[in-house]
Amino acid sequence: MASAFRIDIHHHFVPDAYKAALLSMGAACPPPGFQPPLAQWTPRRTLDAMDEAGIAAALLSITTPGIHFGDDAKARLLARQCNEAGATLVADHGKRFGLFAALPLPDIEASLDEIDHAFDQLKADGIGLYTNYGARWLGHQDFAPILEALDRRQATVFVHPTSAPCMCGLQPEFNEAVIEYGTDTTRTIASLLFSGAAVRFPNIRYIFCHAGGTMPYLIERFYTEAKRPKSAAHLPKGPLHELQRFHYDIAQTANPGPIGCLRAIMPASQILFGTDYPYGIGCQGHVDALAKCGFPADELAAVERGNALRLLPRFA
Amino acid sequence: MADAPHRIDVHHHFAPPAYCAALEKTRPVFYIMKDWTTERSLDDMDKAGIKTSMLSITTPGTWFGDAQQARTLARIANDYAADLVRDHPGRFGLFTTLSLPDIEGSLKEIEYGFDTLKADGVGVYTSYDDKHLGDKMFAPVFEELNRRKAVVYCHPVICQCCTALTPEVNEAVIEYGTDTTRTIASLLFSGAASKYPDIKFIWSHGGGTMPFLIERFINLAKLPHVAPKLPKGLMHELKRFYYDTAQASNPSAMGCLRTIVEATQIVFGTDFPYRRGLENVEGLAGCNFTAPERRLIDCDNALGFLSRLKA
Repeated sequence: MASAFRIDIHHHFVPDAYKAALLSMGAACPPPGFQPPLAQWTPRRTLDAMDEAGIAAALLSITTPGIHFGDDAKARLLARQCNEAGATLVADHGKRFGLFAALPLPDIEASLDEIDHAFDQLKADGIGLYTNYGARWLGHQDFAPILEALDRRQATVFVHPTSAPCMCGLQPEFNEAVIEYGTDTTRTIASLLFSGAAVRFPNIRYIFCHAGGTMPYLIERFYTEAKRPKSAAHLPKGPLHELQRFHYDIAQTANPGPIGCLRAIMPASQILFGTDYPYGIGCQGHVDALAKCGFPADELAAVERGNALRLLPRFA
Repeated sequence: MADAPHRIDVHHHFAPPAYCAALEKTRPVFYIMKDWTTERSLDDMDKAGIKTSMLSITTPGTWFGDAQQARTLARIANDYAADLVRDHPGRFGLFTTLSLPDIEGSLKEIEYGFDTLKADGVGVYTSYDDKHLGDKMFAPVFEELNRRKAVVYCHPVICQCCTALTPEVNEAVIEYGTDTTRTIASLLFSGAASKYPDIKFIWSHGGGTMPFLIERFINLAKLPHVAPKLPKGLMHELKRFYYDTAQASNPSAMGCLRTIVEATQIVFGTDFPYRRGLENVEGLAGCNFTAPERRLIDCDNALGFLSRLKA
């Protein structure tokens, strides 16, 4: 497959243990539930979708609702099972897959252990986090030990949205992914910035999903907020300096509106190809849509591959 | 003065002293509201070349669980605004404040606003007790507003479920824009937007965050159980709404909005007294609009639906 060159930073896998965990909860499974795209996932399907879309490598992560359903011991086991399954896929398929390891957060101690295991034993490429855990966003002081460990390792951290617990049932007539996911990414970016955590842990290499949630559209509010004395003290170089260190994937946002909006505040070097497989418009769908977003050829190549290689050089 | 006053500000808040005093009996009132005076409004308008500002009451509005109190607060605001419109010819317009979710009182206030005070439109909020505007409870109000082909200016509130989520950040940063998106979605996907085609909706802040989330809206609208709610299609409805420039007069937001709607749907708004009018004027100057587009946004679009101001 000489033509495959893209690196998909936002690609979900559904190991058997995860399927079993979601299935066992039945109707009690938190939103968005055990949806058909997850139930139908197989390694073969993922590889076929990648091949069709010229994707050389996909970074595997566990999607919402994550792995912690209220029981620390079960979450710890499930995280380990998912990460071992991911590492096996990586080992079995050469450079086709990478792994963003799952953590059993909000259990801090177990998560610190899993960070060690993931990096030192499984050679994971990074860590997958969610935007909030029990209505605490990533800048919350409770997560400081995690961020500290990730900062020490200069880790690549893929932050996937989930909805805030209080949003359950707010608009039952449609899926929470429509509005609440993007919004929660914005909340956790704001939480990291305005708590001071972004500045305090400068070596974490963040990837935020879906072009940054809704942050780029709300950028004027971020600037205004950053002028408040308390906020300004947390952001000595200003909000844009921190925001421009982060990376943003194009999953479910590969169209001229949001990409142009992101591009107005972000160099192309911070934008990464991602598909949200098996959700959304698919791998090839994202390739086609991204081609219509107005990137010059050199920038498109960087978005589709080069920028990811800076974070993950082993895929070169 | 920056330039000849020609702009129409559709997003301009006033805070009558009697409204603040009544509010303050039960809750603290933000100093920016208490400091508001007519002179401050006029002074800011003059500095920004604003000819006319459409007056509306910002959050927290009138509803604190008591319909009688809400009706009283709405009436205080509306009579005060009507006096300003009369006393300062050409400088102010009135978006009637309602007592929603009190339906009966709101229907009466719509009638009073349009028929007695000659209001230019009504002002509503994005949600009331976490019910968004597509909820069937609001149908009688929208039936009446549709019958009158009313201008409906919609200002966000912070959903009750979203208060104090991230204490390190002012809630206005994220939650206002998001609730505008929610209520646009609520109107669209409940079928209300299609059902009331004669209402001229104005969304605050460039449509909240809807333009950025457009792909989610498009994909949702394709679902078999959703598509029938939008017989003319999602984009038909989104392209007939109006979107103001308050807190969104920057190239990121305006560029994104512009990929969804023509410049004919964008209207100048300042969010005074929370932001200065001139900030918005200067922001728009850096947004890559052509001079004719600027003219549309500054005034001509608004004059198209605010017929009284054309006189």
